[in-house]
Parts: sequence; C-alpha cells; structure tokens
Amino acid sequence: MGSGLNRVLAVASNTFRETVRERVLYNLVFFAIIMTLSGLLLGQLSIRQDEKIIKDVGLAAMDLFGTLIAIFVGVGLVSKEIDKRSLFPLLAKPVSRDEFLLGKFAGLAFTLLVNVAVMAAGLYLTLLATHQSADPALLKAVYGILLGLALTVALALLFSVFTSAALASVCTVSVVVAGRFSDVVQNMREVAPGAPQWLIQGLYYAVPNFRNFDLKDRVVYGDPVTRGDLVWITAYAAVYMAAVLGVAMAAFRSRELT
Amino acid sequence: MADPADESAALRIEGLSKSYRVGHLRPRRKPALHDLSLSVPRGEVFGYLGPNGSGKTTTLKVLMGLAFADAGAAWLLGRPLRDPRCRERVGYLPENPYLYDYLTPAEYLDYVGRLFGMAKAARVSRARELLERVGLAPVARTPMRRFSKGMLQRMGLAQALMNSPELVFLDEPMSGLDPIGRRMVREIILDLRGKGSTVVFSTHILSDAETLCDRVALLRAGRLVAVGRLDEILQIDVSHMEVLVSRLDPERAAKLPGDPRRRRAMGERWVLQVSESELGALVGAVEEAGGRILSVQPVRQSLEDFFFQEMASTEGASWVAD
Repeated sequence: MGSGLNRVLAVASNTFRETVRERVLYNLVFFAIIMTLSGLLLGQLSIRQDEKIIKDVGLAAMDLFGTLIAIFVGVGLVSKEIDKRSLFPLLAKPVSRDEFLLGKFAGLAFTLLVNVAVMAAGLYLTLLATHQSADPALLKAVYGILLGLALTVALALLFSVFTSAALASVCTVSVVVAGRFSDVVQNMREVAPGAPQWLIQGLYYAVPNFRNFDLKDRVVYGDPVTRGDLVWITAYAAVYMAAVLGVAMAAFRSRELT
Repeated sequence: MADPADESAALRIEGLSKSYRVGHLRPRRKPALHDLSLSVPRGEVFGYLGPNGSGKTTTLKVLMGLAFADAGAAWLLGRPLRDPRCRERVGYLPENPYLYDYLTPAEYLDYVGRLFGMAKAARVSRARELLERVGLAPVARTPMRRFSKGMLQRMGLAQALMNSPELVFLDEPMSGLDPIGRRMVREIILDLRGKGSTVVFSTHILSDAETLCDRVALLRAGRLVAVGRLDEILQIDVSHMEVLVSRLDPERAAKLPGDPRRRRAMGERWVLQVSESELGALVGAVEEAGGRILSVQPVRQSLEDFFFQEMASTEGASWVAD
C-alpha cells in the first residue's frame, strides 16, 4: 500500500487539476495579463519612469490576483467538500485527514506557483519587449509574494475547516488585511487611546505580518535585498504556516462529518 | 471485548453508542445509536435494515471514521477502527454519493487507485474492468457533471470496488437506479460473495434483502431489534392459504365460510385468505357456488410483514435523522 507522501501527492495533484479546471482561475490570470499590459501602456505615457511603472504594476497585479485566488479558492478547499460530501468516499480510503489537508494545501500552493510563474514570465517579456533590462532582482520580490500567498492559503484552509466558505472568506480577508497593515495595528493607540496595550500587542503578534514579504518597492527602487533577508522571511513564513496548518489539522481531525 | 487479532469476523461491533448535539441555545444530545453489538462473519451478505432515521447511515459513518462513537468499539477485518490500515481492504459506497464532477470516471478511479497505492498499470486495468462492469465504459472520458443520478450511483459503486475489497459497505446501493441497474447491483453483490468478500448493505427495498442476504439486522430508533438468518427471524411455517377464484358473483362470495374481511375482489376474480384447516371447506363451498379455483398458495411471513410488524410498535419513538 502507498506511503503517506504518495497519498498527499495524489490529493495535491487532484487539487491542482481541480483549480486549473475552475474558470475563475483562468479569468484571474487573464486579468493579471491585462494589468501587465496596462502597465506597458502607462509606461509609454511617462518619462523615464516606464521601467519602474511596468515593474510596479506587474508585481502588484501578481500579488493582488494571487491573493484573490489563494483566498477564494482556498476557503472552498475543505468547506465545499464537507458541504457536498465529496470527501466521504475518499476519507473512507486509507488516507488520513492530515494527509488530505496537506494535499489540499500543496495542490493550491502549486497552482499559485504556476500562476505566479506565468505572470512573472509575462512581466519579463513585457520588459524585454519595451527594451528594458530583465532585472533578475525582480525574482526576489516574486519569491516574497509566493511566501505570502502560501501563508494566505494556509489561513484560508484553517478557516475553511471551521466554517462555511462565505464566513471563511471574511475571516481570511480580515487576517490578511490586518497583516498587511500591521503597522496600523501596532500604532492603534494613536487612534484609539483607550485600547488596552496587551490586546494590541496580542493582535500584532497573532496576526502574521504580511509586510515582511513585501519586497516590491525595495526591488523596484534598487534597494538591496540580501540573502539574509530572504532566509528570515522564509523562516518567518515556515513557522507561521506550520502553526496555522497544525491548528487546521487538529481541528479537522476532531471534526465530525455528518 | 473481542480479540482485535480475531480475523474470523469481517465486522465486529461491541456496544457502539453515538449521539448528536442538537439545538443552539439549549444544546442537548440526541441518541442515534444505543449499545449496538453485532458480528458479521466473512463471506456473508448482510442486510442492514431499518426505517429512515433508525441509525443505519450513522453506523456506517462511524465505521468509516467520518463520525466518532461516544462509546464502544468496532473492528474491520480484525483491525480496530483507529488503525488507518483497517480501511485498506474495505470499500464504501455512501448514500447518494457526490463525486468530483469535474473529473471523468477514468480520472476519478485513477485518483482512488493512487490513494490505495496501486501501480499505474493496475489502476488503468482495474478502472477499465470496473467501468465495463457497471456499464459506464462508453462514458469513461465524459466529465461526471453530465451524469444522471443513476450513473453517479453506478460510479459510486465502481469506486467502492477499486481496491478489490474483502469487506464492502453499501449504503442504499439501489437508490436512483432503474430496474437494469438494480439487477446489476444484485449481480455484483452475488459476485462479491462468490469471490469470498463480505457485503454489508443497507436498503429500504426489503425484497432485495430477502433475495440477497444470508443474514439481516433490523434497527429501530438506534437499537438492534433483531439479527439473524431470515429463517430464524421470520415464521417459516405457513401462516395462511391464499385461494384465487373466478366466476363468483359478490352475492355468492358473501355466503362462503370464513372471515369476510379476508376476501377481496380483483376485477372478476377473488382472493380468499383462509387458515389451512378451513381450506377443504372453502374449496367445496366455492365449487358448490359455481366458482372456479384458479390457484391455492401457502403464504409465509415475508420480511416486509416482519418489518411492518416490528415497526408498528415504534409509535411515539423519537428518532434522529440518519
């Protein structure tokens, strides 16, 4: 009989196939390409700023559409299966719930990897087509985007185990937005002086700081991104993902499917 | 407690109880299964019967690890439920199965085969064989979103058999099937028994249970009412005789011996029910009245009679949904 890894890969490859066959995914990729092309158009209207604008718009589109896919496909990964009972025949096979959940995570993460890779290729083609330099440092920003997307998938999966797809979307969007504006959370006392410090600190540390993954401005404006920076954000993402997936697996193990 | 290493029973359940939490403001536990114990030997076709909400589906969900028992234990092919390997040689068809509709039957079976760790060649060959068996070979490459309910039921059956299981649980396997499909399921069940597999199936169609099962269990409000061979459960003695008569007008029929409430007209014919001892007198009276005896049949208690007799005593019982 197959090993656990083979079963995780089986679930992952099926999840990848499912997401590829979702028309929403194609639409998002299509719109991302449109965004990149619009950057190209914008670049022609500016003076000497065209390269930066193309890079800015391309990376922002990659991040935005990737996040939309991660959230709105991610929240359906488990909740949709529970609602439709499609996992009943599968969990009756020798596949554990942990393996099923990890497979779902890996499948969507791989979809996003392919998606971002296609968009990154589109961005480089755009730069080359407009006689700009194909700056390899852009890949550092793309890597940061990917880490953020993987963490977003883990969060969507966690909420998807607990609740319906609609509520899971709201929860995931809330955490991702709070994580992207973590400086606002940290300085909350400036706008809400009555808020207890322990609550603010608790929120700040509980919600992952997505700003850590945002290397777009540094790359576009030529600020150095060291190997140490990349190792740090990788470790940060890994720890948070392990914690989020650990909680999701524990919750899924104890969830009754009726 | 049963010996976990005992593989002589395909299925063994000991004191299984299960309740569900109901209500939001004042949550309480509603019992679904109560102290259920039964054992199914290998190679048997076992019918699991009961009305809606009696706990049949709940039992199967607990056995498949989808729901968790409050108390008790169960072993599949000698392995406890908590051991994931217990499902390696088990097949399961859920009630009204929902399968990934973006996949084709061939893709779905390939996916299931991968979960069982089957090699590529074995997956392809087994999928082809099963799709042929359930009559879906012509649509092996058609996405299942285009399938009818009956086709999905056939596909559900195919996925349950992908690993050539030694123990198969089928929850309402005849649901949504036309007469051809029902015959196919009956043949598959008998084939499985012929190959030494054990089949446990729940059904509302009692005639199927009567035809196919070596033994049956009858469940009512989460409790086991009866379990055993059909000839143990049912009265095998003749309960009464049924006489089919023609050429008898209502006036003459009214004068025949026996209970008038046990006569019914069927067009120009009459069906008369009498005890064995009254048969001779009735036949004589019919001939004297100018009637013609078309047939005389001894009637034994059917599973359906037994089912309704047992269920009649459940008035007021509170059942939770399956």
